[in-house]
Amino acid sequence: MTDVAVEKDQDSLGVLAWIGIGIVSVAIFLAVFSPWLIPYDPTQATENVSTPPPPLSAWPSLFWQTIVGDGPTPHWFGTDASGLDVFSRTIEATRTDLIIALSANIVSVIIGVSLGVISGYFRNIWTETLLRTSDLLQSFPVFITAMILVALAGRSWVNIVLAMSFLYAPIYLRLTRTEVLALRDRSFIEAARALGKTEFGIARQHILPNAIGPSLIQFSVTIGFAILLTAGLSFVGAGVRPPTPEWGSMIATGATQLVLGDWWPSLFPGIAISVTVFGFAVCGHILEKRYGR
Amino acid sequence: MADSTNTVLSARGLSVQYANESPTLSDINMDIAAGEIVGLTGSSGSGKSTLAYALLGLTRRGAQITNGEIYFGRNDLLALSDVELEDIRGRDIALIVQNPRSALHPMYQVGRQISRVYQTHRGSGGAEAHQRAIEMLRLVGINDPERRADAFVHELSGGMAQRVLIALALSTSPKLLIADEPTSGLDVTVQAQFLDTMWETSRKTGTAMVLVTQEPGILANYCDRVIELDAGRVSKDVSASEFVSTSMLHTTQATSSGQGEGQNRAPLLKVEGLRKTFPLRGTKKVVQAVDDMSLSLFAGESVGLVGESGSGKSTVGRCLLKLLDSDAGKITFDGQDLGVVSGEALRRVRQRIQIVQQDPYDSFDPRWTIEKSLLDPLEIHQIVPPTEARAAIEEGLKRVSVDASVLGRRPKDLSAGILQRVAIARALLMKPDFLVLDEPTSMLAPQDRHIILDVLKRLRTELGLSYLLISHDLTSVASACDRVVVMYLGQVVEQGPTTEIFEKPVHPYTKALIGAHLEENPKTRRVDRTDRVDLEGEIPSPIDLPVGCYLATRCPQATEACDKERQVLSSFSSHHDVRCMRAGQLELDKAS
Repeated sequence: MTDVAVEKDQDSLGVLAWIGIGIVSVAIFLAVFSPWLIPYDPTQATENVSTPPPPLSAWPSLFWQTIVGDGPTPHWFGTDASGLDVFSRTIEATRTDLIIALSANIVSVIIGVSLGVISGYFRNIWTETLLRTSDLLQSFPVFITAMILVALAGRSWVNIVLAMSFLYAPIYLRLTRTEVLALRDRSFIEAARALGKTEFGIARQHILPNAIGPSLIQFSVTIGFAILLTAGLSFVGAGVRPPTPEWGSMIATGATQLVLGDWWPSLFPGIAISVTVFGFAVCGHILEKRYGR
Repeated sequence: MADSTNTVLSARGLSVQYANESPTLSDINMDIAAGEIVGLTGSSGSGKSTLAYALLGLTRRGAQITNGEIYFGRNDLLALSDVELEDIRGRDIALIVQNPRSALHPMYQVGRQISRVYQTHRGSGGAEAHQRAIEMLRLVGINDPERRADAFVHELSGGMAQRVLIALALSTSPKLLIADEPTSGLDVTVQAQFLDTMWETSRKTGTAMVLVTQEPGILANYCDRVIELDAGRVSKDVSASEFVSTSMLHTTQATSSGQGEGQNRAPLLKVEGLRKTFPLRGTKKVVQAVDDMSLSLFAGESVGLVGESGSGKSTVGRCLLKLLDSDAGKITFDGQDLGVVSGEALRRVRQRIQIVQQDPYDSFDPRWTIEKSLLDPLEIHQIVPPTEARAAIEEGLKRVSVDASVLGRRPKDLSAGILQRVAIARALLMKPDFLVLDEPTSMLAPQDRHIILDVLKRLRTELGLSYLLISHDLTSVASACDRVVVMYLGQVVEQGPTTEIFEKPVHPYTKALIGAHLEENPKTRRVDRTDRVDLEGEIPSPIDLPVGCYLATRCPQATEACDKERQVLSSFSSHHDVRCMRAGQLELDKAS
């Protein structure tokens, strides 16, 4: 009887959930297809410097013009002080930010989960040391540490990914280890051992698949944070090098123009960050509610 | 409407239904006479708990009493207002629920909880209520009730908490007591103590009782009448003796040892002086799980290892497979010292010794289908060529009478009984010489228990399998084992042939354990026996064990010497060993 009730509850996702899923889908779509969607080269300056976006009332007619190919494509979000098209850059930056955040998370899940399985299943002095080290890492303020690491290693996106993986791996390590500790005393692990499975075989075939769930839920939440961190690093000048389009650095360059009343170069990437992070956070929350404990 | 003055409660046409579903209970008619103990039984899902609660006018969330009347005295309970009902519940009808620890409030002393109920329903003063609480605690057999009344629930053992619950329920002298599986999860001796207390109190106070249980032993020993439910309807309403004679699936009897007693052969498995302790975190102390355990088992023999929880019997089983490393002692399997094997050699030995665990749902990877769980070990040991693997597992399932259609399912989709048989099949696929069965039936309903035991007995004759059956359920051991080993606090206290142990136990602990065993026979009711040996007090902590005999603190026959002298397991008669220096003396006393 209760099963029926639970199923019903799971079947109907709330409005919020659909909004979250929608945002994430759009973000992924933009990241994949941005070269075909953007009207201007995001790194090539136009002669129109600091053009404000057209007023909303003019958008329908401009849109029509663009479709029939009559006249130049308007700068929907205006241009910045160097004459770069904000619309094209905001879209293109989805790709930059998503790739960095995703890669960093994939790397940290791989490292964190495998170390988590090892440290939870084989408990000895080495895994204890590993655990303490990871605790130590987690106690550093993420942003500052990432900034220092990138500054030391050099500002390339590979280094940013590595620095972030280094900082996020302990989250997955902890999560996985907690699961493994509960799993290792379960009867089916003992049964597998009695049936002649090797310890490595048990860890890989029984422990890992049963322990990975919470990490996959965390994955979605952490992507949001990672986007925020990527943008934050660029904002303070420790991220990807300009003119690579990136939301954080766009906000930073736009910020210098804010005093002159040019709000558009910062506002649009700002909105993009908030919406994307919100979308991933909602999705993480949904996954947690449905599959988490 | 109560047709005789003797009737306490009668239900007429009672139906309970969850919204939009077929009725959980339909048209129940039953009467309960004063002072009568009625067993309410039926398979799981038959509606027995629902009925027990419905008698109080209660239902679970989402359910509704759709029809019927419940007459309690002159009142129809279902026609009363909530306020009037509240007054009757607790005062005239009391309830004992399954889990005693969670039923008591953790923040109040137990005595205070009893006196509060008494004050509420009897309107007495505080001092009088407190007096009553102490009186009730004494009545249910709690030593030193003045002090225990000030205890909190976490300071009490499970058995004692259960007794406090009876005291609480009986404090207002109710006319009817409803107990919903009150002994599930308790050890046999504690269960017997508890049921004795309940039975005696009911006889003393004339309280009628409804006892919800699936255990045939409890029905046979403590109930006057049995009502059986089947799919929400009363399928039987007969006296306990009639119920037992008509519906017990099996009569328990010790098996004669079918295999020739080959004492000249070398034993298949030999354990000598096994010791296992677990360090206690943060201290230098250790928990002594197994201490000086010796055991031998011959090919084709089945041995039962019995004892209460905490006696170390499961630890022994796990040491045999080297799933746990022992601290001391020697385990020899087929001439091979298990202490020195490791790696590949250990895996080969383990193929020959298999284990079936207690909780079937926990012993399969929840993500794997049954097919995968069965194929995987076959691949590891390459017992059959891959092309024949599928046929082999189907054959293996047939051996335990499970249909091959389960192969595509996952553990959670199967019933506990079937899954446990699949676990046996999985172990047997390894073609073991020896099987350790660690409480294989304790999580199962009585019917499933019988099936498992039948399967085991059949496999023994078919395959010549030897096994060690670890169990606290003496009925299982009596029916499926040639020999019995009794453990208490990590030591073997007595071992011998099944019939001898059950009919002529020597060690006082064995006597108490056998005495607590509820046979499915109303003619040998425990409450009627006069020669019962009951132990006093609680089981000592395995951290600070007594110096002398471990049982000395609880043994009715203990002398001063028992407190000081360590006991050794010595031969009492041929094939019968006892760890008690007074064993011979006790037998002489009995004879004279």
